[in-house]
Amino acid sequence: MNDLGTLNRRNFFNWGIRGIGATAFASLLARDTTAQVSSLGQTAFPNFAPRAKRAIHISLVGGMSHIDSYDHKPGLDKAHGKPLGSNEKPDIFFGKVGLLRKSDFQFKPRGQSGLWLSDMFPNIAEMADQMTVIRSMTTDSANHTPALFFANSGFEFNGFPSVGSWVSYGLGCETESLPAFVVLSDGRGGPNGGASNWTSGFLPSQHQGVELRSGKTPVRDLFPAIEQPKGSDAAARDFLQKLNARHADRSGADAMLSARMRSYELAARMQLSVPEVSDINGEPEYIRNMYGLGEGRTEDAGRRCLLARRLLERGVRFVQIYSGGPIGGSPRASWDAHENVQDNHSTEAGRIDKPIAGLLRDLKQRGMLDDTLVLFTTEFGRTPFAQSNADQVGPGRDHNKYGFSCWLAGGGVKAGFSYGKTDEIGWKTVKNPVHWHDFHATVLHLMGVDHKNLTFYHNGIERRLTNVHGHVAKGMFA
Amino acid sequence: MHLRGFHSILSVLILSLLGSTGNHSFAAAIFDRDVAPLLIRHCLECHNGFDLKGKLDLSQRDAALKGGKHGAVFVAGKPSESLLWEKVAEDDMPPDKPLGQAEKTLLRDWIAAGAKWGANDDLDPFQYTTAKRGGYDWWSLQPIGQPEPPEVSQTGWGANPIDAFILARLDAAKLKPSAPADARVLIRRLYFDLTGLPPTAEQVAAFVANPTDAAYRKVVDDLLSSPHYGERWGRHWLDLARFGESDGFERNNVRNNLWPYRDWVIRALNDDMPYDEFVRMQVAGDVLKPGNPAGQKAVGFLVAGLHNTVVGGSEFMKKTARQDEIEEIIGTVGQTFVGLTVNCARCHNHKFDPIQQKEYYQMTSAIAGVFHGERSVADPELARQREVLRKQIASLSEELARIENRARETALAKRKHRDPEEKPEPPTPFARWEFDTGLEDSLGTLHGTAKGDARLEGGALVVDGSDAWVETAPLNSPLRAKTLEAWVALGSLNQKGGGVIGVQSNDGQFFDSVVFAERESRRWMPGSNGLVRTKSFGVPEENEAHQQAVHIAIVYQEDGTITGYRNGAPYGKPYKTGFQEFAAGSSQVIFGMRHRGGGNNFLNGKIHRAQLYNRALGPDEIAASAGVESTFVGEAELAAALAQAKLARRKALKDQLTGLSAREQELGSGSSMKVYTVAARGNPGMVRLLKRGNAMDEGEVVRPGAVAALRMLSSDFGISPDASDNERRKQLAHWLTDTNNPLFTRVIVNRVWHYHFGTGIVETPNDFGFNGGRPSHPELLDWLASEFAANGQQLKALHRLIVTSNTYRQASAPRADGMAVDAENRLLWRKSPVRLDAESLRDAVLVVSGKLNPKMGGPGFRDVSITPNNGTTYYEPIYPEGDEYNRRTVYRFSPRGGRSAILDTFDCPDPSTTAPRRAVTTTPLQALALLNNHFILNKAGAMADRVASHAKGNLDEQVKQIFLDAFQRQPAAEELRLAKRLAGEYGLVTLCRSLFNSNEFVILN
Repeated sequence: MNDLGTLNRRNFFNWGIRGIGATAFASLLARDTTAQVSSLGQTAFPNFAPRAKRAIHISLVGGMSHIDSYDHKPGLDKAHGKPLGSNEKPDIFFGKVGLLRKSDFQFKPRGQSGLWLSDMFPNIAEMADQMTVIRSMTTDSANHTPALFFANSGFEFNGFPSVGSWVSYGLGCETESLPAFVVLSDGRGGPNGGASNWTSGFLPSQHQGVELRSGKTPVRDLFPAIEQPKGSDAAARDFLQKLNARHADRSGADAMLSARMRSYELAARMQLSVPEVSDINGEPEYIRNMYGLGEGRTEDAGRRCLLARRLLERGVRFVQIYSGGPIGGSPRASWDAHENVQDNHSTEAGRIDKPIAGLLRDLKQRGMLDDTLVLFTTEFGRTPFAQSNADQVGPGRDHNKYGFSCWLAGGGVKAGFSYGKTDEIGWKTVKNPVHWHDFHATVLHLMGVDHKNLTFYHNGIERRLTNVHGHVAKGMFA
Repeated sequence: MHLRGFHSILSVLILSLLGSTGNHSFAAAIFDRDVAPLLIRHCLECHNGFDLKGKLDLSQRDAALKGGKHGAVFVAGKPSESLLWEKVAEDDMPPDKPLGQAEKTLLRDWIAAGAKWGANDDLDPFQYTTAKRGGYDWWSLQPIGQPEPPEVSQTGWGANPIDAFILARLDAAKLKPSAPADARVLIRRLYFDLTGLPPTAEQVAAFVANPTDAAYRKVVDDLLSSPHYGERWGRHWLDLARFGESDGFERNNVRNNLWPYRDWVIRALNDDMPYDEFVRMQVAGDVLKPGNPAGQKAVGFLVAGLHNTVVGGSEFMKKTARQDEIEEIIGTVGQTFVGLTVNCARCHNHKFDPIQQKEYYQMTSAIAGVFHGERSVADPELARQREVLRKQIASLSEELARIENRARETALAKRKHRDPEEKPEPPTPFARWEFDTGLEDSLGTLHGTAKGDARLEGGALVVDGSDAWVETAPLNSPLRAKTLEAWVALGSLNQKGGGVIGVQSNDGQFFDSVVFAERESRRWMPGSNGLVRTKSFGVPEENEAHQQAVHIAIVYQEDGTITGYRNGAPYGKPYKTGFQEFAAGSSQVIFGMRHRGGGNNFLNGKIHRAQLYNRALGPDEIAASAGVESTFVGEAELAAALAQAKLARRKALKDQLTGLSAREQELGSGSSMKVYTVAARGNPGMVRLLKRGNAMDEGEVVRPGAVAALRMLSSDFGISPDASDNERRKQLAHWLTDTNNPLFTRVIVNRVWHYHFGTGIVETPNDFGFNGGRPSHPELLDWLASEFAANGQQLKALHRLIVTSNTYRQASAPRADGMAVDAENRLLWRKSPVRLDAESLRDAVLVVSGKLNPKMGGPGFRDVSITPNNGTTYYEPIYPEGDEYNRRTVYRFSPRGGRSAILDTFDCPDPSTTAPRRAVTTTPLQALALLNNHFILNKAGAMADRVASHAKGNLDEQVKQIFLDAFQRQPAAEELRLAKRLAGEYGLVTLCRSLFNSNEFVILN
């Protein structure tokens, strides 16, 4: 019986329902998780050479106006004050179609590429030569929570795994001491739908996003919630090890037993590595300044952007950063600029502009931008017409699911490039539409994964991040 | 599939006898028997009426003879001139897998013989299973067989026929079953499996002393009649029912009244309600048993899932949201009761199973009257429960009052000896308006401007109830917690909706105001935008304020608590709601008006003085400000007057009373209770097929019905398309539970097997279709299903049968021979070890720490904070203390996205979709939760305390007791030595904490 105590890895990972119990142990921990996915009868990942090994996803909550930021529309300037001139009843949110309104921000060509960007993000604009702006995004919902779920999981409903979870499931983690998928919420609160946005859904729970908060216990239950006798942690662990070893001798060395023992070793590592990565005090002054630390409005995002870089450096696969807290209320704590785009977007952009530009610069100077993908997304865009009475040009804009902008930087995308197009006024996508499924397929592709191969059986369907859709937008690859 | 080869060979023989001259009528007969199946299996996937690759439809006589975009594909009698033959012969078609030689010959000969179509014009593409999809011949759709237990090698091994089926497959794989598990392992396995709780050390000892078959069977019977059985297996059922106590989606509002469904499930299982009845009740209990509260509670199943309450403005969004809701229900009904993913046929025919899109809409029609909602349900139980509750509350309140009155007297007595200078000073406001000589803020910058007819007179601001108000300069700092205060006299008690003092966003869209009689006549209340933060204080009518000025104050805390005061004394009951912050610059104070832009907005009265605080005042501060010689004794003063023990008792009483009052409020006052259930629409109208699932693209009207692939049942319910909801759901319930429905019983026996063994005979319990698993023991599955039907569909009999088999009683240790051949243990050469599920783990910790509160039923305990925040609800784990929170986990309030750390890391699914099997993972986060979570450490402490008081000072005894409680065994000598060393150095709590983390505690052999 004793020789079974060293069950080889193959047997070990065969345990359980279709390998679920098996991948169980792998995940968070093992460097070679990727091979294990093949126990589900799939191609092992990556399917081809990855252009990006890791990703940071900056997710804007509330809906950023593309026509005021990344999608220059001289046609809209000309049409300012005119009616939309269409009898359609667009699927927006409040349904009030006011007159067309030109951008409240000034655009100009940036960098060597001459990419037209507005002065909403003056610092990010300096990094124009690093990014591909997608100006032809579309989505299915003009409603916040479903739209955010869609951007995260490819479905409008609760319960589907998010991009980070799929990436964790497909590619695992490069460190044993930190989770594969880490989430950094806005200091003003979580987005609508809270943790459902980074759920692993039906994927095994180790692929869930782990929220890293500020404070003494950045990860839930990292340290005892009630003070324990000094020194008892190590002693308890040591005792546990011996007790478990005796138990294994008695009951037969099932793989599940050794997996649990190993999980305690890894937990101990996390107790060291999480505080270490969270402690940004050791970062030099010039780096801290780069991210806008020490300046009131950029403090929150700056800390999180810097944390993201530190996490990636240590082998975390996917970090998600939210810009925007709960929807609704006054004053707004998100990008949901129904009342006044200029006021709201200036405030929100001011919180993240310098930190994100700092992140891009820092990644570049460390040579990490070559194989790190930075994603900047919004749940939808905003309408070129004002949200006001039909004969007015109010200062606010409603939700626009028909056309909006996102950008990618680093990790194998073209530099200083724009992809796709909306119409003259920025209302609807007219060229190279990129739906979220396409966006997801493209991101997976950049990370070396064929989106059609990354599947998980759930209630009758081999589920994919991209449902039954998704085209890789190769046109934006470097 | 298995007949294919045989048929082909036969037809080749026949056709070759015919020779090339052919015999047309005979060829037609051959078509029906041989050619049609070939076309269906190999061609119709792409060439059917819907798909039409190459514009060719081979599913229909005329279309097939007409051909595709290149014209006719058959030339009768001339294979060599037929395009179809050409493609087949060259292996161009079928594209993925060319036909075999015999099949090719068959086709060629049929064309040669005249290419005659058969008796039916149309071929049914679902007739046969193909390489890519299931047909009507799919295994799970066939009637249930009556297999005899097979002959086996070890005739002595079997305890019942299950073992023969298992042994037969083990024989075939040249494996032997494992030895029986030892008595202690077996009895612990049985307790957890049937009740979800560990046995006591005594129960284990009794069985170990006498581990006979009879004794084992006795324990099985005892456990099946224990009420804990229903709690355990009810929890399994709630996974399938995606039982969630919040709406999900954007708002994710709390569902306060879905728990009666959970209680109904537990009770029905404990009563061993026949399974078909159990299901009929959940699909149509309200219409099958009108007037019986059980029926209304049971159909909670249909609406226990997500509910989108923000569907958006456009017609498209509204209709789509309703269709999404229907799909969610059909998906759950189909998968749970018959293992079919009918929901996959919403936009097109099912890609893998023989289910047409039309049948999906037939089911849509069957449930078209089902909507989410709350209903009042008459329940005679209520009066009794209320009486019990009232007595409890009365007795606890009396005790609390005794303690507090005595403390109050002590405190007041102390005050008399106090230096008069200690008398509380009135608090300093943030802003003050005296209204004596002007409208200015005498403390700060919030100076007022008169609007309309507002005027000063006799040291008061006078407003006349129409277009007269005062507004101030914008706030110069953001306002969070606040207190609004005013001395006001009313012109009349019969006015409605006017505001005294308020804070609003400049446009009036957001506000908090002190309002008179807006929602309830003649009462003061906190007015707010859309009444979102307005609730009743539950006070009597105002009857003085028209004769003399009264002092009114409303306090807003940041946690959403709102408290009212009148003349310095508390005004009714405070309550908790959302919280609104007011931004600097864009907010202002207003007097005489509720908010800008409202109707019935203005106050008729005199405001003598008003004050604003940028914090929440306490009761004694309010009293001081009101200038009342207060006999109010504040919390700190009261606490200071109480001895430690009394203080603790008081806290316990208050906690209990809070819980009981909440419960009382939920029970209401009538003879009925609120239940979250189906709010049926009696005449839901006709349902049309939606083309490509597009809610705006309606097709033909469909009749209420179900799936046609179960050929032994009628998929048409035989009622008109506009039949009543009653009629539709009754028919659906009968269709599902029909004794001839083979899936109904196969699916449930497999589920029960799955929960006993960790893997089902079919490993996908919700999917018996083409994408699901194939049965590892098909004959056993049918044998169990037919036994189950023959025994009146009683689940307890099925459990008994399974757990008394020798298969179930095997040891769990891995064996090299077994691992080599069948590492996943599909053949059951051992009993697979089981990692405790999240609920069993938490419950086991409660039991062994001596803290389990066995109370059954009622609203769930809430170990999450609930924070409504601007249209979304957040749920965060909290760790309140008290008996209520030590109930079994099945009674936990279970909102979507609000699992506690233990549940979350130990794979308890979020109730967003039906969860037929849980993942079993092992992660460092799980280890951290079990090591450090508040609940675990708290219970480790409780266990240590209890043991310490039992065997005072004797570490040896204490350690032994802890092992007995946790593992139901004595420690071995070495374990005792190590444990004593640990406990000696770090205390018993460290030992208890360690044992909760041990493999022996968490994994069952």
